[in-house]
Amino acid sequence: MVAVLFATICLPVALLVATPPQTAPNHVFDLQGHAVDPFHTAPGKIVVFLFIRTDCPISNRYAPTIQDLSARYSKQVAFFLVYPIASETPEQIRKHLEEYRYHLPALRDPELKLARESQVRVTPEAAVFSPDRKLLYHGRIDDWYVEFARARRAPTTHDLASAIDSALSEKSSSPTSAPAIGCFIPGLT
Amino acid sequence: MRVVALVLPISALAVTLAIASAPRTVNGRYQRGEPTGTDAVTFNRDIAPIVFRYCAPCHRPGEAAPFSLLTYADTAKFADQIAYITEKRIMPPWLPAPDEQKFSGELHLTDAQIHLFRQWAKQGAPEGDRGDLPPTPEFTPGWQLGKPDAILHAQKPYSLPPQGTDNYWNFIFRTNFPATRWVRAIEIRPGEKRVVHHANLLVDRLHSSRSQEKHSGEGFAGMELRIESDTFDPDSHFFFWKPGSVPHMEPADMALRLDPGDDLVLNVHLQPSGKPESIEPTIGLYFTGQSASKFPFLLELQNDKVLNIPPDATNFEVNDDFTLPTEVQLLAIYPHAHYLGRDLLASATYPDGTTKNLIHIPRWDLNWQAVFYYEDEVILPAGTHISMHYIYDNSAANIANPFHPPQRVKGGNRTTDEMAHLWLQVLPHGTTTAPEQARLLLQESIARHDVTRDPEDFAAQYNLGAMLQSKGDSTEALRHFQAAVRLRPTEPVANNALGAALIAVGNPQEAVAPLLRAIRTRPGYAPAHYNLGNAYASMRKFDEAIRHFSEVTRLSPTDSMAEANLGAALAETGNLTEARRHLERALRLDPQNTLAAENLVEVKRQLASSQSR
Repeated sequence: MVAVLFATICLPVALLVATPPQTAPNHVFDLQGHAVDPFHTAPGKIVVFLFIRTDCPISNRYAPTIQDLSARYSKQVAFFLVYPIASETPEQIRKHLEEYRYHLPALRDPELKLARESQVRVTPEAAVFSPDRKLLYHGRIDDWYVEFARARRAPTTHDLASAIDSALSEKSSSPTSAPAIGCFIPGLT
Repeated sequence: MRVVALVLPISALAVTLAIASAPRTVNGRYQRGEPTGTDAVTFNRDIAPIVFRYCAPCHRPGEAAPFSLLTYADTAKFADQIAYITEKRIMPPWLPAPDEQKFSGELHLTDAQIHLFRQWAKQGAPEGDRGDLPPTPEFTPGWQLGKPDAILHAQKPYSLPPQGTDNYWNFIFRTNFPATRWVRAIEIRPGEKRVVHHANLLVDRLHSSRSQEKHSGEGFAGMELRIESDTFDPDSHFFFWKPGSVPHMEPADMALRLDPGDDLVLNVHLQPSGKPESIEPTIGLYFTGQSASKFPFLLELQNDKVLNIPPDATNFEVNDDFTLPTEVQLLAIYPHAHYLGRDLLASATYPDGTTKNLIHIPRWDLNWQAVFYYEDEVILPAGTHISMHYIYDNSAANIANPFHPPQRVKGGNRTTDEMAHLWLQVLPHGTTTAPEQARLLLQESIARHDVTRDPEDFAAQYNLGAMLQSKGDSTEALRHFQAAVRLRPTEPVANNALGAALIAVGNPQEAVAPLLRAIRTRPGYAPAHYNLGNAYASMRKFDEAIRHFSEVTRLSPTDSMAEANLGAALAETGNLTEARRHLERALRLDPQNTLAAENLVEVKRQLASSQSR
């Protein structure tokens, strides 16, 4: 009896152990469903991930800011939008990109691997990596929102831009962070 | 055997968990209050009733809130966020502190309810027994009050830019009903609900907002509206929309009078969403065949004059007090400040000395402002002292502060100005006098209160003048219209009122100058032309009178009185044929126009006698 019980409980765990080798660790997916390594596509560049979702009003309100920032740093920095909600389909994401006039590559992170590596918790939240995949900054874009439904008229700090500037000047050594306000990413707690 | 050995610690964990959760169930059902150490909280039994009642009205497809909270799967995804946001009392949005007075549609969660959300999230958001799940709430699709009697569409959509700060836009709905309508409710469908924070509708009988449109029908920007009125016809009803709200329906005997051609002006508070949005509101009107027999009144306390808030002040106080001259029933209340307001309190001190809060908002947030209707009957006897006590925070710690770093802020209508207003919708009872007298007494008292508080307040002087004029006291009205014109020398409405009052006290000569000023500042201002016609006619300057009455008939082709007066003036100059034409037109426009009828008889008699001669 005991042996049977163990066997049934163990089965799914054994399967889990078997799956990881099928894809490289920390891979995310493009909208065609292909696993991609964003560090590989932009060698030698600072990489910025912006975690967003289609239905979060706070991350949506940031769309023009995100687009402006990415345009400002387009030469030195590779920007990626990351959608960490597994249920958001590539079709929904394409529609969202169009509606919010994004001109940035979009990735899906349904297993939250990149979200965990980036140490983010909410949308919108940014992560800045060195070209050799060292996390330099994670957190808010700026201090526009201080709380849910409580936004300043305009931000007074520009945390993401500062973090990118530091990364570009190779000033920062230890990772920094500033807590972001936004919609919780389920599955990360 | 090797496989078993490998996973042993994990399977042991799973077994432990199962044992730990076992005592929560009794015969497969969750039981409330089982002595388990930690209370088991399930969606179906504990969370769903709260979520369905407090969250789902907005958190459902097609509504203002970002995601739906109608099912276990939808809600469980947000368990942590819900726990966080309710603990901080950010959601559900409800400004008034719990108090003696209850408001309808109250969204205040108890501490125990909030605790349930936290417990549920901590326990991994369990679903529980399906049998415990209350029925999913059913919401009325489309118009909340059913099919409206009339639907009006904005003439032109407003394009909200994707980026920027709060945005305020005003749409003018031009009504064109053939006769007076009595309106019990107006449902506002603001367009893209996710970007509209609230909307407020006002009646503009004089089309005074139209001049603010650069192109007719496109609407205009502005946070606050100033509606003019040349007869004293005070605001009486709130027409307010906020997300998730069902519009308020007034009792049939308390409907709003809507005259043919009245404008309805919708003031909409918008927040850019990150993408371009097209805002195209629609309003639905619900009529009653019954004309009103009860006339509520929006009693306004305010003290913008003292708003002069130095930078970094965290505790700037503003007060206004008013003693009721007559008994009223308090129906609804609408406190209003801009971005620096922190703590808003309205209280009533009764004649016996006891004090009650009418509303207390300990943490004001402009974004969630609303009109609050009292659940129970609130009677305020004559002699009750109503106090408005507002506190403002102009420090950098107030994140809503429009200035960074903080700057001196004064009273005004722009978003960066501040306001201290409190509107109370009251129904004058008048236990000793007739309700109509009670209402007039109340109107006059508040108008006098406003003038006493600030003799430099243009609107207060004008309103008291208009109030006195409407009760026939032209001599005292004149004094206040003069004061108003002294404060704003070119203001067309006040100059027109001053002219009218001067004619009324038998001084048409002096009336000409202010009336001419009125049409100089506002060309095409028909009421001033009409009064000029009257002034000149009283001075027997009929050629000038004819010129101005003709202008009115051109500007307002349906004005029967203007046609009648034009006819009378023409008759005075001996132009009987033309006189008859205009008098006949006056009667076609209004068969009840007795002046036109009498003059027509006289003109016809003269025409007949001149022909017989």
